Amino acid sequence: MTVSTLRRLALKGALVCALAASASLPARAADAVLRVSAIPDEAPTELQRKFAPLGKYLEAQTGMKVVFTPVSDYAAVVESLATKKIDLAWLGGFTYVQAKIRTNGTAIPIVQREEDAKFTSKFITADPTIKSLNDLKGKTFAFGAPSSTSGSLMPRYFLQQAGLNPEKDFKNVAFSGAHDATVAFVAAGKADAGVLNASVWDKLVEAKKVDTDKVRVFATTPPYFDYNWTVRGDLDPALIKKLTDAFLKLDPNNPDDKEIMALQRAAKFIPTKKENYDGIEKAAQSAGLLK
Amino acid sequence: MLLNPAARDPAARSRLIGALATLAVLWPLFQAAEVKPGVLFDPGNLKVIGNFLAGFLPPETGAEFLGYLGKATLETLAIATAGMALAFVLAVPLAYLASGAGREKTTLNPLTRSLLTLLRGIPELVWALVFVRVFGLGPAAGVLALGLTYGGMLAKVYAEILESVDAAPARALRHNGAGRPLAILYGLLPQASKELASYTVYRWECAIRASVVMGFVGAGGLGQLMDQAMKMLNGGEAASILLAFMVLVFSADGLSGWLRRALDTPPANRASPFGWRSSVLGLALAGSVVASFIFLEIDLKSLLTAEAARSIGEFIAGFFPPDLSADWLAKIGKGIWETLAISVVGTLLAAVAGLLLALPAWRAPFSFLLNTLRSVPELVWATITALAVGLGPFAGALALALHTTGVLGRLYAEALDNAPRPPSNALRLAGAPGGLAFLYGTLPGAAPQLIAYTLYRWEMNIRMAAILGFVGAGGLGQLLYFELSLFHHAQASTVIIAMLALSISVDQASAWLRRCMQ
Repeated sequence: MTVSTLRRLALKGALVCALAASASLPARAADAVLRVSAIPDEAPTELQRKFAPLGKYLEAQTGMKVVFTPVSDYAAVVESLATKKIDLAWLGGFTYVQAKIRTNGTAIPIVQREEDAKFTSKFITADPTIKSLNDLKGKTFAFGAPSSTSGSLMPRYFLQQAGLNPEKDFKNVAFSGAHDATVAFVAAGKADAGVLNASVWDKLVEAKKVDTDKVRVFATTPPYFDYNWTVRGDLDPALIKKLTDAFLKLDPNNPDDKEIMALQRAAKFIPTKKENYDGIEKAAQSAGLLK
Repeated sequence: MLLNPAARDPAARSRLIGALATLAVLWPLFQAAEVKPGVLFDPGNLKVIGNFLAGFLPPETGAEFLGYLGKATLETLAIATAGMALAFVLAVPLAYLASGAGREKTTLNPLTRSLLTLLRGIPELVWALVFVRVFGLGPAAGVLALGLTYGGMLAKVYAEILESVDAAPARALRHNGAGRPLAILYGLLPQASKELASYTVYRWECAIRASVVMGFVGAGGLGQLMDQAMKMLNGGEAASILLAFMVLVFSADGLSGWLRRALDTPPANRASPFGWRSSVLGLALAGSVVASFIFLEIDLKSLLTAEAARSIGEFIAGFFPPDLSADWLAKIGKGIWETLAISVVGTLLAAVAGLLLALPAWRAPFSFLLNTLRSVPELVWATITALAVGLGPFAGALALALHTTGVLGRLYAEALDNAPRPPSNALRLAGAPGGLAFLYGTLPGAAPQLIAYTLYRWEMNIRMAAILGFVGAGGLGQLLYFELSLFHHAQASTVIIAMLALSISVDQASAWLRRCMQ
């Protein structure tokens, strides 16, 4: 080792420092772009695939460039909506309540699918000895993401109504992170039972992605309000109207629209309002998820 | 035993007592980590793992998926490179301030040291969540989070490497009137440069693996794809992603080896200190850093606006005051104990396995095994071990052990290779068998380094143990993930404080153990 090797090393280091420090890059143009995201209740790549035709449609309807950012964390979507990093988001009932609180009540739910007004969750298992909610005592159990409405909050609330406390009565509670992951957990025996939203369950069964001889539904929750499309409250009201109309105009008899709606698993989009989610807020408070 | 007193180990009694005391300390930790080796060989579990691993073949090769994979690979490289560049920029001045190297009195700078602990002690994920507020969703949050945590780690290790080399040349320079920077540059860096360079490249490899954690906040990269594939137990996709990962890690390994050889070659006899190699390397390095920042479309300016500062401030203010109610503290206490147990058991299992794998003289198959073990991130191992032993602390400890075995085995092999040879040669010449020559000749020489590596890995594993909770391994991580998801910031804040306290105590304990063993 000599001085010159050393000097080379030091100079290389200095060069990197200088370059990294001076790397200032142009800001992205923020105008005329509609930034959209969605809670990752399914695999983010799947969400991206599902969104592509809807994104094109919204581009045509609003004349804005639509950019979809996939994420894998529920909280990140709420956080981004609150800090105005995104304009439009697909939220669950509970994430909407969180967004409402974090935006001081300004976030506005605009539309939802017809079926979101009477949504349910399915309890599933591959264990033949589990036949009712009470058989879950002493078993390992998988929720979806902690802030999922249909994969965590409402099942927890209904378990509570049935006299079960997941943290005390179950052997182990896991959070799979997404509905389809819950099915994979239960099918592989990573958890004895789990709960997920009815819509994803039906989709997986239709696509034969789940072996129904092995994994079966043993309980279903009463209906509640779930998913909606929410906009930031300080968006231009004209744009909010354009977006709302765009969704409501979707017609299943039009082949192009049909593709979009099939991917969103929507028979029809209907208007929604803040008050629809008061029940969820109360359930969250009573289940201790909202403080 | 019928050994005559002269041939008996004079330290036998104290060693026996030490071993027993260690066992007594470790036993409750093994209990807390729910170590049940029997579950590993349960036929039902073996079948589940078998099915999952069988799904790895054939790897997914669909065009659409390969497109995602290619983009994600580039993103991972860019996040790791940009993050490391940031970390390096932070680490150099911090290491200079924190290190006792080249100082007349080895008074450490406690302020910088505690800043470093703060940077390292808070998991990348928490930093990433803070930065999501400023940059929005995307890789920028991941880059900054990596930059801060790794900046802290690099600075600490740089400082320690500089302290660990022979201080005499620097002292001589200082006595002759040289300033501290010059004394470090000419007295310490020449001895330390190889280790510094190889450690930096090694950290870059780690940064690639750390992108798995970043995937959680939507920072993209291979990590996000991997997370999904593993969650869905989609073996084919997981296999393709793992292959891409391994290619990346092995290339980084090759690069590191090439760099070490380049540092060993005597420089050409010419006036200019820059040969073609260093120029090409320098340009490539600079080019890749700039390319990474451009590829990730990072807008550094938006970090410096008043609004950004305000929203970070608001976010951080939400964490105060932390929830200190007795109920919550009891839960946290349990979490701390579990996390500690996972990290200790994982590191210990890895130290034993790593040492065994570092011993054989014929390296090739073992190097391959070690490289494979360490190129698979802990979080991915956790998914597999959770299938093997069910969700819980034992799965976490096993996952840590598997990955850490790869890391420690490689470091051990290098340390044993670099250990001074004369003592063991002398023992051999005096007629000692190979095993004893190793135990009494080679091992004592390499021991300080082996112990330093192990303790250092333990410090890293305590942080990883916290994060493993995100995939259901229990401990503090699961608490933090849950509370952060629900925006229960007061509760999350207590968890973060507990993590910090735990990592600081582990740092202290490890420094104390290192001093004791010297």
